[in-house]
Amino acid sequence: MSNDARTEHDPFVALQDSPEFADLRSRFRRFVFPMTGLFLAWYFLYVLLSVYASDFMSTKVFGNINVGLLLGLGQFVSTFVITILYVRWADREFDPRAAALATTIGDDHR
Amino acid sequence: MNSAYGVVAIVLICTVTLAIGAFGLRLSRTTSDFYVAGRTVTPYRNASAIGGEYLSAASFLGIAGLVYTNGLDMLWFPVGYTVGYVVLLVLVAAPLRRSGAYTLPDFAEARLESTVIRKLSSVLVVAIGWLYLLPQLQGAGLALRTVTGAPTWVGGLVVAVVVVANVAAGGMRSITMVQAVQYWIKLTAIAVPAFVLLGAWLGDGAPSPAIARDTAWAEPLNGLAGQGHPVYATYSLLLALALGTMGLPHVLVRFYTNPDGKAARRTTLTVVALLGAFYLFPPLYGILGRVYIPELPLGTAADTLVLQLPGAMVHSQLGEVLSAVLAGGAFAAFLSTASGLTMSVAGVIDQDLLRRRLGRMTGDDFTVAQGFRLATVLSVIVPYAASRLIEPVGLATMVSLAFAVAASTFCPLLVLGSWWRGLSTVGAAAGLVVGGSLAAAAVAITIFAGPIPGWTGALLGQPAAWTIPISFATAVVVSLATPGRIPRHTARTMVRLHTPEDLALDRG
Repeated sequence: MSNDARTEHDPFVALQDSPEFADLRSRFRRFVFPMTGLFLAWYFLYVLLSVYASDFMSTKVFGNINVGLLLGLGQFVSTFVITILYVRWADREFDPRAAALATTIGDDHR
Repeated sequence: MNSAYGVVAIVLICTVTLAIGAFGLRLSRTTSDFYVAGRTVTPYRNASAIGGEYLSAASFLGIAGLVYTNGLDMLWFPVGYTVGYVVLLVLVAAPLRRSGAYTLPDFAEARLESTVIRKLSSVLVVAIGWLYLLPQLQGAGLALRTVTGAPTWVGGLVVAVVVVANVAAGGMRSITMVQAVQYWIKLTAIAVPAFVLLGAWLGDGAPSPAIARDTAWAEPLNGLAGQGHPVYATYSLLLALALGTMGLPHVLVRFYTNPDGKAARRTTLTVVALLGAFYLFPPLYGILGRVYIPELPLGTAADTLVLQLPGAMVHSQLGEVLSAVLAGGAFAAFLSTASGLTMSVAGVIDQDLLRRRLGRMTGDDFTVAQGFRLATVLSVIVPYAASRLIEPVGLATMVSLAFAVAASTFCPLLVLGSWWRGLSTVGAAAGLVVGGSLAAAAVAITIFAGPIPGWTGALLGQPAAWTIPISFATAVVVSLATPGRIPRHTARTMVRLHTPEDLALDRG
């Protein structure tokens, strides 16, 4: 079992308190939480539109295809787009920073 | 209907499933192999396996039936099923992988350092798993009866036996292979007949759905689903699906079978594409059903619409062959979902509920594999017995109740557990107990009491919208009131959960 005396020198706690780690986490939160809120809002908006804007939703775009149907299919497409955005962001922004942090801390601790 | 084709298709699917399972068996050697397939599954195959496992009876048969009876709002089911994956990916997938746990109870214990929480999570995993297995077995009974006229107990039994044989023998690695193959079987089985039927529909001059006498069907949120408050019901359902996916035991374990975080993200992207592709088809069957079968024959469930449609549209051997193909696909759906669920439920029963007791009873005179096999049998027998006793309430409805329970229990545990340092042991337990019992009570009333009118019925039929916030609030408030019960290694655990894998810290 660890004790309080040891905890003071715990590399994990040191890492937790380091500005680099805080930066990494806040970057993640700043990207992920708003995005989650935004895409849930978009799904919920669709339900509202179907109920309260049924004229708009039943506007014919071409043939028997109306706005509602297109937006409905758009739900699947947007799910996919959101996932792509996240994967790209993680590959481009998050992983390199995490790897950089890994090298600094890893050297201290090995 | 000529039952010979259907029997051939179903026997074929069961044989293929067993054969691939047996092949995988030879590859499965270590514990890690057994539970997480050695964490070496490639993203593409893993995604196929996830898709294969996720597309259950509810997806293959249930959605078409719902669209047929209730109208286009029911498209929310497939959208919600897919969205759940994205929420899981961005919020909890990475921290969970890094925790190094194999199962939900493992994670709960590692994060909250409490065996009580572990026990609670184990009970919940088993409960959710059984709730989800129930419609798979009922669906199998319905499908086999539709295709061959066999009594409903036969279909469920066939699925139960095949699943027990596969899971008990091969564990996760063989299941992964079985499920990856089954995704493609399912997609083919639903897509090919759909194109043939669309061709037939165009050949008939593309008639419109027979909605003249039932205009409500074409209206959005018409309340045909028997719920008095369709906007509430739709929102609640969407919440349950979006937040419940992360709490489904068989879904989560898949994220551990990826070699690293990057692969886990690739996997999810592929999964979303695969699910999206599949979900284009079930609604098509629902709409074509409206055109060609204005009223279902008395005594047949809407869940069997997919299987009946070819016979109603193409009056020849072709129709029978198409029905058989769909029945085979449906069985692939029951088998793969039931295998994944059984794997998770059996793992938990074995580790947390059975092993010590068995050890005491036999004086440790049993092997690990024997214990797991016994757990496998147990985890299938109980839902099978229940499926004989409980009247089917609709495959997709049943599955959505399992989602609601998962969303009201594991969602708060996972989200708060991986993002909030203030979560205390007592708070987490209170959240699980309160959310779990409220959701379970609502489910029990919905299943046993039948349709209830008005707000009461709506709130009980789709409990997620109130049980999730209550569960979150309970966990937060109780945690704030018991700061002394915050696990002592929280800081350490949090770093571990949020530090990318390649960081060279001791994870032991």
